[in-house]
Parts: sequence; structure tokens; C-alpha cells
Amino acid sequence: MGTFYVTLKYTAVTLWSMFVIAPFLWALSTSFKDFNSVTSGATYIPWVDFEPTLEGWRVLLRSPAQGGVNIVEPYLNSIFVTSLASFISILLGTLAAYALSRFTFKAGFVKNDDITFFFISQRIMPPVVLAIPFFIMLGKLGLLDTLLGLVMVYVVLLMPIAVWIMVDFFNKVPVEIDETALIDGCNPIQAFIKVVLPNSIPGMVVAGLFCMIFGWTDFFFAFILTFTEVQLLPVAIVSLNSSITPWWSLSAAALVSVAPLIVVAFIVERYLSKGNLSGALK
Amino acid sequence: MKKMIKISTLTVTASLLAVAAQADKWSDQFPHIKNTGDIAGECSYESMSKKDYSGQKLTINTHAVPVIGEPTALHAEQFSKLTGAEVNVIHTPAGDLYSKAMVPFQAGQAPYDIVFGFSNFIRDWKQYLQPVPAKYVNMRQMQDVTQSHIDVNSWDGEMIQFPIDGDRHYLKYRKDVIDNPEYQAKYKAETGNELRVPQTWKEYGEMASFFNGWDWDNDGELEYGSAEVMKKDDLMFAAFFSRSVAYAKNPRVKGGYFFDLESMEPLINGPGFVEALTDWVEATKYVPPGGINFGLGDEINSFGGGQTLFSFSWDDAFVAAMQDDSPIKNKVGAAPLPGSDRVWNRSSGAWENEYNQAPYIVWGWTAAVAKASKNQDVAFDYLCFFANDANHQADIAIGRFGVNPFKKSDFVPELYVERQGWDPEIAKQYADTLMEMEEGSTNRVFPLRVPGVFQFNSAIATATSKALAGQLSPQEALDEAAADWKKIVKRIGADTIREAYAVGVALEDNL
Amino acid sequence: MNFKHKYLFLLPGFIVLLGILIFPIGFTVRLSLSSWDSFFPGLDFIGLENYTRLFTDDPRFWESFQRLSFMSVITVFLQYTIGFALAHMVWKEIKFQRFFRVLFLIPMMTTPVIMTVIWKTVFHESLGPVNDFFSLFGVTPLWLSSEALSKVTVIIVEVWQWTPFMFLLLLAGLLSLPKEPFLAASIDGAGPIRKFVYVTFPLMAPISIGAIIIRLIEASKIMDTVYVLTSGGPGTSSETSSFYIFIKGLREFQFGYSAALSLTYLIIMIISLTIIAKMLVKLMIRN
Repeated sequence: MGTFYVTLKYTAVTLWSMFVIAPFLWALSTSFKDFNSVTSGATYIPWVDFEPTLEGWRVLLRSPAQGGVNIVEPYLNSIFVTSLASFISILLGTLAAYALSRFTFKAGFVKNDDITFFFISQRIMPPVVLAIPFFIMLGKLGLLDTLLGLVMVYVVLLMPIAVWIMVDFFNKVPVEIDETALIDGCNPIQAFIKVVLPNSIPGMVVAGLFCMIFGWTDFFFAFILTFTEVQLLPVAIVSLNSSITPWWSLSAAALVSVAPLIVVAFIVERYLSKGNLSGALK
Repeated sequence: MKKMIKISTLTVTASLLAVAAQADKWSDQFPHIKNTGDIAGECSYESMSKKDYSGQKLTINTHAVPVIGEPTALHAEQFSKLTGAEVNVIHTPAGDLYSKAMVPFQAGQAPYDIVFGFSNFIRDWKQYLQPVPAKYVNMRQMQDVTQSHIDVNSWDGEMIQFPIDGDRHYLKYRKDVIDNPEYQAKYKAETGNELRVPQTWKEYGEMASFFNGWDWDNDGELEYGSAEVMKKDDLMFAAFFSRSVAYAKNPRVKGGYFFDLESMEPLINGPGFVEALTDWVEATKYVPPGGINFGLGDEINSFGGGQTLFSFSWDDAFVAAMQDDSPIKNKVGAAPLPGSDRVWNRSSGAWENEYNQAPYIVWGWTAAVAKASKNQDVAFDYLCFFANDANHQADIAIGRFGVNPFKKSDFVPELYVERQGWDPEIAKQYADTLMEMEEGSTNRVFPLRVPGVFQFNSAIATATSKALAGQLSPQEALDEAAADWKKIVKRIGADTIREAYAVGVALEDNL
Repeated sequence: MNFKHKYLFLLPGFIVLLGILIFPIGFTVRLSLSSWDSFFPGLDFIGLENYTRLFTDDPRFWESFQRLSFMSVITVFLQYTIGFALAHMVWKEIKFQRFFRVLFLIPMMTTPVIMTVIWKTVFHESLGPVNDFFSLFGVTPLWLSSEALSKVTVIIVEVWQWTPFMFLLLLAGLLSLPKEPFLAASIDGAGPIRKFVYVTFPLMAPISIGAIIIRLIEASKIMDTVYVLTSGGPGTSSETSSFYIFIKGLREFQFGYSAALSLTYLIIMIISLTIIAKMLVKLMIRN
């Protein structure tokens, strides 16, 4: 039974790994192709099946007048906006989540669960309808086409995630911890900062990761709310999508845009493992 | 009329070719126009260099690179160097061009001085656009534009959009098959019919089916009959209309093609359209695998990559096929869209067994200046510069730019033979076909340009797409579309729509 | 616990959210009572006409809901099962544990819009590798152009993209489980299967429910995938509610109607999700 399960485990994990990697390999191969290599049927290995070219990659560094799209600035913009919005979301969201987990609120018939639900339900709204009102709102505030305007909108999108994840995690941190700290003479704020927070690092890391991901990959709001001054990475890449889809440059762009988050993935994994070691909540 | 056109185009061409011999100072600075050098005009490089727009800024929303996007950016750079203006260009995928411009317009903002788009946006966005000043309309450069392109960019006689590109639907076919004596014999033997440029959609279908699913050009890959835009997106309805014009546009019946002008009853579920849709459902059998999900890009890849015998929508597939590195360069031909052996007469309620053919004067890329722009003169000068003779000649030679001929002086075969290495016979066929459609045809259909045009087109796309998928029969699908159209007319107001539609019908009937 | 400074914790976030959202939501409600479209922009008042229309005259909207339910339930179910299985497998000792954990996280880090274009080329019926493989067996499945398969393709792409989400949550959950119940179970002589069913799964119930609900919310907004892969086609066979709302809003520019659709969608989703959440709680508590 033991070895059967072990073989099963390794097979399953390997199969899924292949499934995960497959499109990236295809993108890698395609990024070196040109029009003819793509239109004459599926081709795989450079030099064997087709003549490779660096055109797909070069496009990413050229200016549009030369037929490319410069992605360096959008890259940096995306990093800035995503990080700042995530940071604010986690800050405000963790505080709110702690309150919802530990204290009781009552305003009429609205209780804790309802408030939590209010936060989470913001995620249900399809973006398309919020486009015009946000547009008008930012227009009136003079924040269209600015980094700050985008950060504001993203905080609204990301805070619900932070709240939801942290409420879950705080619910699993036993109240005894807080009470121990209180007995030791701390007020609740100190208890929060000194005792509860350190134990919630895994949760905050996960929340941070999700915020970064949803912020980094948003296309829709960046598209509607920016024009020339500010461009985010997804919009810059999609602007490559002309009537003749340039599969090669899109493939290159896809690979390039994934790179930084792989680094983040490593960091997250490390925290998860470490969190486990210090997660013995005693 | 034809003689006059011939003489004037010959003169222009002669001067173009003559000037080509001169390498002037402008082509040294701007290698893009090295083939022709600068060509004299109000918007030439020379003229622009005399203007000083330093300190002024232009913001342009255009399509993604390279189709139209690259020339926009390139000309922006050139314009900037010549006049000192700062020009910012942003790129947007085709399907979003409209919303990217309209959302700000409707919220009362105008972040763009110039917006690029498709010419059938005209009715919906003209309220936000500045009409082209007479100064530009009267320039020789503009007078050289073919009548149908002026019409498509104007509303009720006023030019609202600036012609910067030409587009049309025409039939493209593989000469190496149709003109091949061996295949001609084979076809005759097996079907009893002539293998020739298809004159009707039925012939098109027969030939496409015959050449579907086997390797007829010996490249080791299977080929198929036809590549068409069937994906349910923003362009598929145009392919459908191209197929229906022959059956439903009767030269003897006036007063509307999409609607009956008087009653505003939709006509799109009439027998002519149903016949066309039936043909189209048949076509799903002779398109490559996945062909039912082909967007324009896929069609270009397919025909341009040598995968099919026929294609019939925009220029791009032909241009792609004639690129220097294309395996099928000089193996393709251009012809008018197929016609039909019978045409429906909606007044008499019967089919007339007479050959009928009509072009669908389809729309294409265009640009316009926002009414709220603070730099209108700079903006118009930019557009004029974009379309000046030197730039235009250079642009049409670069396939990926997506700029296609739209001036009378463009339709001279020698230009293509010399500059792009086309076979003289093909170049002549191309020029003749296009000129005939633009200037010569009398029985034609203009694109629908009424308020809410997207809703109408979307309804057609949904309905025809259901028929292609086999969810509904052609008649049921078009009945559904007609019902949708009735609702849309009711919502927007029959009078409003009639007023707009009348403009298009006038163009169709008064020839 | 009650504490007078509790508002200090809650209010900053709450107020920021409410503040930024109040105008858009309010505007959307007002928009739904108007007939704003591209030709008549502006907030006229037509009362509940949009709502009447969508309830009596829009079968396409309700069909899209059916499709949406079908696709999102299957997608989330697959993501949960696969995600849980993967998390469980890389939880304890396994070679290359680090590598697998990081690898399994990566798909959700990609921008859906871009990645889906890659998938489109992968599933391209004439030029893609998938059908190249299948042509060895003489079949050419129509991944993007047949009614049945187009839904399957969307589901496959969604599963690829978002299983890491479940994976991460469930792994984090597994890693923070207390050791005692497992020790107790071992002492009782329970084997791996019993441990899973009676210890792991119930302990993971709260996180599972939360993850499923959030994933259902996100899955219902499937837009990018449908937009790039199939445009809702062929016909309308892969058209989801949010895609339909998108078409009505940004393609046909019927903003008033689109707002009404959105609010209706919002309410229906809230009701369904509450019901589902309660059901899940009952289901898991029973175990």
C-alpha cells in the first residue's frame, strides 16, 4: 500500500507539472518564430522544424514607430501600483479583519458576518459596469491617467481579498493568545501588535500574494482609466494585439511578464514552510 | 469619364515615377520616402517643415502595432521632427478602439486629439468630431481620393473623417490552381464545369469543395477551400453582407437594402439573405479545421500562408500573400466578389433569373479630430501629412502597415510591379478590379451607418453565428435577427434611424 | 469581546472602501434606471423599463446564467479536488518538494488575458500542437469551434490558471494544522485514509468553504478566457453572464441596460452564494 501510494503520488505530481509547464514551453518556442513558421502547421524545435529569429523578443524593446512596444516603463509602473495598492490593502484589511474576528459589532441588524460579507461581495461585481462611474469619478478628481488614481481603484479591488483571508486566519488563531497577553497587562492594541500579528505572518503573506497577483494581472481597469501618461504592463502587452496576431511577440511578452512573480512565488513558499515551523502556537 | 481618369492618373504617375529618380534632401533625412522623395503639396515634408508647432502637444489613439499603429507612430515621429510638436501615440486593440474613444467622449472628456477607428463608427461618434475644414477637402491630395472613400468618410455631404486608408472586400484566389491547365482538365472531367474565376457564389462553393482537404500545391500539407471570417466578433457580419449583396441588392429596386426606408421594416430575413446564409452554412464544410472560429487575423494567416484556395474579405490576405517572403508570392489573383444567377426582387416578391453582382463598399480604417481638441490645426495637419503622397506611396508598399490604396493615382499597375515586385499581369488585374469597384460600379451597397450600428451588427453576428453552428436554420436565425432589429429600431426611434439610413440609401440609389 | 477601541480597527478600511465605492455603486443604480447608450448619452429616467426588459424579453441573459452555473461549478469542483490532492501530496516529505510547490503556484501569476492568447494558439485547430497530437489518431477535435468542446476548452484553461489558488490556500491551511489530532489518530492506529477522512478533511473544512466560495465568486466573472478563446461562440454556446454584460456594455454601448443586468447579476449571485455557503457548512459539519 505504501509504495503504491508513493508511485501514484509521483506520477500525479509529474503529470500535473507537465501540464503546468506545457504552455510555457510552447510560448518559448513560439517566441522565436515568424509568420511563416506559424502558418504552415505546428512546429516545435528551433532549427529542426523552423528557422528561429529574435524578432519576437526585439519587439519588446523597440518603440512603436519601429514596430515595437517599449515595456520597460509599463513594467515599472505595474510594480509600483501593484505594490502600493497591495500594501495599503493589507494594512487596512488586516486591521478590519482583526476587528471582525475578535470583536462584536452591531448596528441595527447588521452584524459581524454581514460586514464581512459586504467586503467580500465587492468582488462579485463584473468590472465592465464600474468602468464608466470610476471613469467619471476619477475624471472629476483629476486622477485619470495617473498612478494615484489607479492605486485608489486597486485598493477597492484588493482590500476585500485581504479582509477575507485575514478573517479566516485570525479565526484560527486561538483567542487564548490575546487573552494571555491581556492578562500580562497589555491593552488590546499592544496585544495585537506584539502577539497576534507575528503569528499571522503566513496569512499576511498569502494575502499579500493574492493582492499582488490580482493587481498585477488586472487588465480591464488599467485599460479604461489610463491614456498616455501612465501605462501598465498588461495594457502595453495587449496593445500588441493587432489584426494579425503576433504570436511570437505575445509569447515573449507573456514569459517576460511572469518572471517577477516567479521570484515572489519563491519567497511565498519559503514563508509558508517557515510559518509551519513557528506555527506551533505555544 | 474613364478616359479622364486615365489621363489624370497617368500624369500623376508619370510625375511620381519621374520624381523617383531624384533623391532629394527629405528622403535623405527620412529614409521612409526614399523611393519617391518628397512630393510637392500643401502637406508635404517641405511644407510641414515650414510650420512651427513647438510647445504644442498631440495625443493620438490608434490601433495596435503594426497594422495602422506602426505608420501612425512613424509619421508622428516624422511630424514631430519637422514641426517641433510633441506627439503621443497610444495603441489599442481593434475591438476596443470604439470604447476607448467613446467612454471619455461620453463622460465629457477629450484626452485624445485624434482618434483612429473604423469608418462605420461615423454616425455614432460624429457628434464629438470636428468636420474636416474646406481647406483640406479642396487640396489636390484630397481630390485624388476615390469617390467611394470620400463618401464613406462623409455624412450628408460633409467630410467628418479624414481618409487615410482604403479598404474593400474582393475575391482572392490561387492562380496556380485556377489557371492551371492540369487542374482545369481534372475539374472539367469530374464535374463537367469550367474551372475559372467563380462568377457566382454557387461556383465558389463548388470549386472550394472540390479543392478541399487534399494537398493540391504539393507542399506536404493539406489545403482547403476557403478562409472566411466566421468568428463571432466585430467583423463577421461584414463577411455575411458581402455574401448577400449579390442575392439581395436588386438594381431595379430602390429604397433600401437593410431596411425598407419608408416603413423601417428590417429586410434581412428576406429570401436573398436567407440564400446567402444557406451558402455560408455550406461553407463551414470547406473551411480549414477551426475555420468557424477564424477572425480576420486567422483568415490572413490561412490564405496568406497558402492554406486555402479562396478568400474574400479585406485586402490584408492578398497583401500578405504578395509579400516578398511569402511562399505564394505572385501565385494569387484578385477579382470582384462573385455574383449570383438570380436576384430577389422584394417589390414583386419573386426571384429574377438575371445575373447580378454588386460590390459591398465596405468600410475600413479612418481617423478623425475631436471637437474638444485644443490643437485642431495641428491635428489636421498631422492627418494631412500622414496621407500625403510621399508617405502614402511608401506606406502601401509595406504590407504590415495595413495601409491600402484609396487614391486614383494608386491604381496604376506599374507602381506595384516596380516597387513591390508584383507580376505585371497580377498588378493589372488588381488595379482594374479595384478601380472598377470604386469608381465604376453603379449597383452597390453602402455599409449600415445608423445610430446604434453596433447593436444591429451584433444581432446579425449572433444570429448568423448560431446558423453556422447549426443551432438554428438560416431562416430561423435571420428571423431572430430581424426581430432583434425591430426591437432596436423601436428603442432608438424609427425616425432617427430612418433619417440616418436615408443618407446611405441616397448614395446607393442616385447613381 | 467588546472593546471601545474596536472601531479603530475596523473603520479605516471600512470607510475607505465605502468612500471609494459609494459613487460607483450609486451611479450604477441610477444608470440602470436610464437608457444611456452611445447615441443618447446622459441620465434620462425610464424607471424600471430596463428591468422589465431583462425579465421578460431577454432569454439570452438567463441562458448565459445556466451556462455560467454549469461551467463555474465544474471548474471550481475540479480546482478544489485537484488543488487539494496536490497540496496534500507536497505537504509532507517528497523529493523536489520546493520545486513542485513553486511550480504549482506559477500559473496563477500570469496575466489571464495574455496567457489565454497562448492557449488559443495551443488549441488552434489547424496550427496548434494539441491537434497535431490528435491527428496521429486521425481525429481533429474542434476545441474552439464546436458547441460542446468550446466549454471544455474554457474549463481546461480556467483549471490551469486557477488551481494554484486553491492549491496555495489549502497548502497554507494544511501547514498550519495542529499536530495533536494526528498524533492521537496514530495512537488509535488509524491508517492514512482514515486519517484523511476523519482528521484532515474536517479540520480543513472552514478553509475549504472559504476557498470554494471565493473561487466561485471569481469564476463567475470569467471574462478574459471567453473573450480571447471563443468570443462566446460558436453561436452563444460559451457565453457567460459577465461576457454578455460586457457585450451589452462596451460593445453595443447600452450602458443603462448593462447596469441593470449587472445589478440583477449581483443580487442573484449574492443569494446563490449565501445558499451555497450554508449548504457547504452543513455538509462539512456533518462529517
